[in-house]
Amino acid sequence: MGRYAIRRLLQAVPVLLGSTLLIFLIVFALPGDPIVSLGGDRRPSPSVVEVLTEQYHLDEPLLVQYWHYIGGVLFRADLGSTYQGVPVADLLASTFQVTLRLTLMALAIEAVVGVGLGVWAALRRGKAVDTMILAATLVLVSVPTLVTGFVLQLVLGVKLKQWTGLDVFPVSGVGDGLRGYILPAFVLAGLSIAYLARLARTSLAEVLRADYIRTAVAKGMPRGRVITRHALRNALIPVVTYLGADVGTLMGGAVITEGIFNLPGLGNLLFRGVYERQQPVVVGVVTLLVLVYIVCNLIVDMLYAVLDPRIRYE
Amino acid sequence: MRVTKGAWLVAGTALLALTVAACGSGAPAGGGEGGDTPVRMEIGEPKNQLVPGLTTEAEGAEVLGALFEPLVKYTKDRQAEPNVAESVASDDNKTWTIKLNQGWTWHDGEPLTAQNYVDAWNWAAYKPNAASAAHFFQMVEGFEDVNPSEEGAQPAAKTMKGLEAVDDLTIRVRLTRPNSQFRLMLGYTAFYPLPAKAFDSNGKITQKYMQQPIGMGLFKMDKPYRKGTDQVIDLSVYEGFKGDKPKNWKQLEFRIYSGQSAAETAYNDLQAENIDVHDSIPSSQLISAQTALGDRYHDDPTSLISYIGFPITANPAFAKPEVRKAISMAIDRKTIAEQVFSGARSPADDFISPAVDGYRPGACTEACSYDPAKAKELYAQAGGPPRIDLGYNADGGHKEWMEAVANNLRANLGIQVQLKPEEKFGVILTALEKHEYKGAFRIAWLYDYPSMENYLTPMFGKAAAKGGSNYSGWTNDQFDELINKGNEARTPAQAIKFYQQADDLLLKDMPYVPVFFHRINWGHSTRIRNVELNMLDQVVWAKVEKADAA
Repeated sequence: MGRYAIRRLLQAVPVLLGSTLLIFLIVFALPGDPIVSLGGDRRPSPSVVEVLTEQYHLDEPLLVQYWHYIGGVLFRADLGSTYQGVPVADLLASTFQVTLRLTLMALAIEAVVGVGLGVWAALRRGKAVDTMILAATLVLVSVPTLVTGFVLQLVLGVKLKQWTGLDVFPVSGVGDGLRGYILPAFVLAGLSIAYLARLARTSLAEVLRADYIRTAVAKGMPRGRVITRHALRNALIPVVTYLGADVGTLMGGAVITEGIFNLPGLGNLLFRGVYERQQPVVVGVVTLLVLVYIVCNLIVDMLYAVLDPRIRYE
Repeated sequence: MRVTKGAWLVAGTALLALTVAACGSGAPAGGGEGGDTPVRMEIGEPKNQLVPGLTTEAEGAEVLGALFEPLVKYTKDRQAEPNVAESVASDDNKTWTIKLNQGWTWHDGEPLTAQNYVDAWNWAAYKPNAASAAHFFQMVEGFEDVNPSEEGAQPAAKTMKGLEAVDDLTIRVRLTRPNSQFRLMLGYTAFYPLPAKAFDSNGKITQKYMQQPIGMGLFKMDKPYRKGTDQVIDLSVYEGFKGDKPKNWKQLEFRIYSGQSAAETAYNDLQAENIDVHDSIPSSQLISAQTALGDRYHDDPTSLISYIGFPITANPAFAKPEVRKAISMAIDRKTIAEQVFSGARSPADDFISPAVDGYRPGACTEACSYDPAKAKELYAQAGGPPRIDLGYNADGGHKEWMEAVANNLRANLGIQVQLKPEEKFGVILTALEKHEYKGAFRIAWLYDYPSMENYLTPMFGKAAAKGGSNYSGWTNDQFDELINKGNEARTPAQAIKFYQQADDLLLKDMPYVPVFFHRINWGHSTRIRNVELNMLDQVVWAKVEKADAA
């Protein structure tokens, strides 16, 4: 399994190189001169444009620019800097922490709530609870993050404090420590909760009909043991796959949520990077996300082997 | 027990997730000494590092305004009165002598000297430093030596010869030509000084200073601010400050809101009393803010004006003043201001903002009034183009009002109007500069310093047509002459007379069409009172009082 993991990680190298080049090309193709954009509505004076353009090699051909960038990354471990001189590595380090906390909290919420609801619905299949959960998840899927985000912020952040005087959920920012992550994590997890509940329900319901479950029940095993030991373990495989892939989606897809709750995370950084055409920032963030995807996929594949002994990696 | 291993692994991962999430959470924000909650204000992320010469936008200027104190202060009647300077005087508007008050100190206790100003201004003007405020110094003698305008040219000197610290408290500035507005400029961010400590041995500003600038203003910075990483900038009152100090509080905190919904989020925080001042209430919330905040909601004029511009030299179809006048008369400014902006803007009736001295209400009476019938007649007589493009940047919330303007033109002039949204305003500006863009476009202007002249020279002066902000290409020798007369005038009142005559030429020719005067919509929490904004739209912190500090 160790050799398999190493091989997979080595395969990641060309993927990373390719993705940096691709992102570089895409950002390069965005309209407007990044230095001119620095001034907003007011155009910076020609001498400022001239000096900065030269400093950041923006007047050179695309491939030369890319070489400056990738050479810095490979030989000097330098991820470049924004056009205001802030090192991208510093930005990535600080924003990654924020997004990681948000993602893990969202992941924990969706794993517990989503799987919990799914299992409950599967065990009460066809009953009122099942129908209610299915209906609720359908609603959850159809409401966009933007709406849930602002509604929760207004109701639980603003109104709750105005009515009761209790400051339970901070409206925005990370100034209040982990408390500030609770609402955004719920908003971020919302969509996945719905998918997970439905996935877990279907998967568990299917397994519960399998022969070996009937055997276990027939030999007199207690119902709780049948469900946890025999049924859930098998039913969890698609759920784990989904959770693993979701880590990447959550980290990259937090742009809106981080914006609403003003969390200084990767999503927010990416948004500003694209908006201001900060090439090194965009390339840095996206490469980091690609790396997260690769590692998460690897972990998911490894987990299969743990959940299902029949799966072996060479 | 092989069966449980998988379950343990899954549970373990989840647990690990929670622990990682729990550890290393950020320290609680603010919370100064003795439970003194800071006064908190919303700002957008400063665009540049916190250095006066690098800062030409409002967010960074707000922070620097708390850290530094200007040489002159703007009074309510829009005049510049000496502040850190004891006097600013000149016999010929060309050689200026600035005398500093005694006893001012930097936050580290060092005395403030004339040399600190000379150093800071030379740094900002020096080309390789690429300071966005460099152009403020271009009227100083020797600017061309430190910042040659031709491309690729290297500066011949590091300091401007027109700038001199005569003694510890006297600065002498020689300008290339008389400028009566120089005193007014000195209150702006670009003219703040820098301490000797800011520079390294090569004359560059150190990273350390950029993260934690030492100023000489009301507030000092408690800890470094790492741009892009930190969400708060914590300041506290500098006890050695010579000017007025706030009565009953000491801590100030700027909270940075970024991202696409920053203004909305900050407004929710204001309602929850998590911040105390919000100076960019989104226009979608204006109606509700008036009821929710009551007398804590404020609405003041700002210096920003929106125009519709025309590339007059690049497109002969716009060459006739009557065509531009007809377009102006076909725009229903009042209705758009009320419907689209809920009164956050008012119809423009001059090329000059009501925020400066010299503005004449109703200066643009005929051409800026809504008269569809006359507009149509005028447009037809002048042979205006049957089809025009209308360009705007899609990232600034301009879509709605540009559509309204386009509808006005279609309905009232009977022409085809094609809206051209561009990704960014820079795209339009670049195309205009290369004379590739032929359509009309939106453009806006806000002053750098509260002088009427700042609305005239940069946008319509002859010198600005090449590499400056004169995008219409409209030039007029008489106009430039009047501006020069104003610059040479002995008193501000005389200067304004000449500038107004120059303004009259614009009103006659309408190179741009003034559309709106912008207003600043802001509010504050119940925790503070006596909040007001100065001429630069910055909060006057010394006057603010905490309401609950009994």
